[in-house]
Amino acid sequence: MVIEILGEALKLMVLAGLTIAGILTILIWKKGLATRVTYLRFVIQAAALAAFFYIFTYPIWLLIMLIVILVIPIAFGRFFCGWLCPFGLYMDLITVARKALKIRHRDLPDRLNKFLHNLRYVLLLVFLLLPVVLLLMDPLPSVQLGIVLAEVLGGPFKPMNILLGPIIPLIVPWAGPLVIGDVNFSYPYVQDIIGYTSGIYATIFPLIFVALTVIGSFMIRRVWCRFCPTGASLAVVNRFKGFKWAPALHLDKDEEKCTKCGICKRVCSVQVTDVYEQKGGKIDTSMCMLCLRCVEMCPYEGCLKLKIGGKTIFESRNWLKPSDSD
Amino acid sequence: MKSQQKKYMIEISQKEIEELRNSVKATSRKVMAENIARMKKTSKNRPKAMEYFDEVADLFGKREKEIQAAKESGKKVIGYMCLFAPIEMILAADAIPVRVNSGWYDTSKLGDRIVPVEVCPVIRSTIGAKMIGLSPYLELSDALISVLTCDGMTKLGEILSDYKPVWAMPIPRVKDSPQSLRFWRDGLLTVKGQIEALTGNKITRKKLKSAIEKTQRATKAFRRLQDLRKGNPVIMGRDAMLVNQTYMWDDITRWTEKTEALCDELEEKVRRKEWACSLDAPRVMVTGTPMIWPDNWKLPTLVEEGKPQGVLVADELCSSERLLYDPVGVDEWTMDDMLDAIGERYLMASTCPCFTSKDGNVDRINWILNKIKEWNVQGVIYYVVRGCMSYAMEYTRIKKVLDGINIPVYYLDTEYTREDVGQMKTRVEAFLEMLTARIDI
Repeated sequence: MVIEILGEALKLMVLAGLTIAGILTILIWKKGLATRVTYLRFVIQAAALAAFFYIFTYPIWLLIMLIVILVIPIAFGRFFCGWLCPFGLYMDLITVARKALKIRHRDLPDRLNKFLHNLRYVLLLVFLLLPVVLLLMDPLPSVQLGIVLAEVLGGPFKPMNILLGPIIPLIVPWAGPLVIGDVNFSYPYVQDIIGYTSGIYATIFPLIFVALTVIGSFMIRRVWCRFCPTGASLAVVNRFKGFKWAPALHLDKDEEKCTKCGICKRVCSVQVTDVYEQKGGKIDTSMCMLCLRCVEMCPYEGCLKLKIGGKTIFESRNWLKPSDSD
Repeated sequence: MKSQQKKYMIEISQKEIEELRNSVKATSRKVMAENIARMKKTSKNRPKAMEYFDEVADLFGKREKEIQAAKESGKKVIGYMCLFAPIEMILAADAIPVRVNSGWYDTSKLGDRIVPVEVCPVIRSTIGAKMIGLSPYLELSDALISVLTCDGMTKLGEILSDYKPVWAMPIPRVKDSPQSLRFWRDGLLTVKGQIEALTGNKITRKKLKSAIEKTQRATKAFRRLQDLRKGNPVIMGRDAMLVNQTYMWDDITRWTEKTEALCDELEEKVRRKEWACSLDAPRVMVTGTPMIWPDNWKLPTLVEEGKPQGVLVADELCSSERLLYDPVGVDEWTMDDMLDAIGERYLMASTCPCFTSKDGNVDRINWILNKIKEWNVQGVIYYVVRGCMSYAMEYTRIKKVLDGINIPVYYLDTEYTREDVGQMKTRVEAFLEMLTARIDI
């Protein structure tokens, strides 16, 4: 019963969230309230969270969702990570809490950060190849395509679930690992961890994981995004020849307007240095999540731009107003 | 301090000091009045809001008395030589920041008694001003922040330490490496401690935040003024330069208000299409050594009173546009992040030629190219005073770049003297003539 009420509440939240997002979008574009992009992002993230909750109530959607998530980046890059991903929202909310406590974040050394970013490709490869390897080691009796596909996608190492891991909402519409009253609670990746373990470890490992990510993202902004295999799968497409135009949605920098003041580097929540270091033109790093914090903080008019194809849709302005609240 | 042996300063009799000061002061008063009178004469439709800046520009006038009064009520005054000094921290400690570089021609001759004549005249003039106690802001300051940018500044701090406590801030010469930032940030922390010790006020998070917001507002007003110069000339370059210079000693909140008022008036003028000069006047940009009020005003005067008349629409001078172009961008309002933001704003965004970087100080070239494009500049005057090595040496590089985009650049070297005005006039007018001819084609 609670779940139904919650579901209705969430439905309203989606509607309200989208309305507010629409209003804010108009405000930003019309009135030049560039520093409010972060608020807009929170609203969209919340709406996306509610939307994911709904989507998960239809099991058949999962595969479609995975395909959508993998196809979107061709056009929109890692827009998903910055603006829609629920796990990202949790980490951002922890960041807000940290800011309220007036504690400074810590930065990872640039080299470690780059290493983690390369590590995610390895993680992705492992998760994608393991089911195939397992299948080869233990061949199925009949070679029907459907069964093979099901074994690969839903077998012991479910790449589908791993890639959908960060999308898990905190309240899930299925039997989650933690039930309080009628409500099932979950957390990104926790159900997969439980799936691999048994006995007492099925309790300990998820707790360790939750603690690590909560504390980690309290200290380091968006800590998981730095080696998230889902993020890697989104980014991998523009590494190939013929896909250099992708993603169509990207950041663009005007070299002459840049004074190399370093603000973009400092405000980046995943410590992307390319925006600062690159000479100009299209920023083609797969580390960028397009959260647009750098564009909103860049004080030089028209220096950083968000472009889709060749069209500018949002650019840095002469803000010179105090940034967010205290 | 007086009983101590002076390291550099020579003994001059009190009588001579007195005499020199009175004579230089009298000349300076005359020069300031004359400069302002000429600015008024050149500029048709000079904005009324400029009156305030004319008044503040009087170095021996209202502002000196104001600072004097503030000092008597217990406020401290902290002078600085280069714009790298963290003004936000001075403001946060409730002290008054003033820039003390001198622009007096006459005192540079006095400086010759202590340092050789090859030394940059800005340094010599500041030394000379100190010798005779001329500069009101230098005299009033309780301590000086000396940022060790060029060789001259490094020794200037040492020489002035004969009179006042001088806090030297070493600055790294490579500006975009992580260790430079760490080094510079440590220096900032040291100065923060020194400021706190002198003023007795602790720089708290809240105070620093409001100080940063204050300078951000000043930058906003300043940028608004610069943006107004992008179109047809609605204000003469000299007037705008004077507005920028007064920031170096004026009360920042009041300066911001007055500049906003000036911008309001200018916007009204744009609407009414009241331009400051003929629209055919070539649009000139100046780059190079700082030009400091009141005496070192000859180049802008020559450009804007020349025949043909030119108009300064932009510059790349640390005494004018570079003072305020870059804001402090704070991400999270914690003490650490604010310190980082202040550090980066002063170090990384600067285009001072005393730096080099991985890409060989390309920032300065980008700045100039951006100004040329956005402000529609037709010619660049590369202004260097004799002895200013860093600017002189970068000329070849800038010229190569500007030749590439077909913008004429003219190298003008001079001294802190009134004697070469005649020949400079010929040179500047020839350049302006050439620019006019180019525009006609």
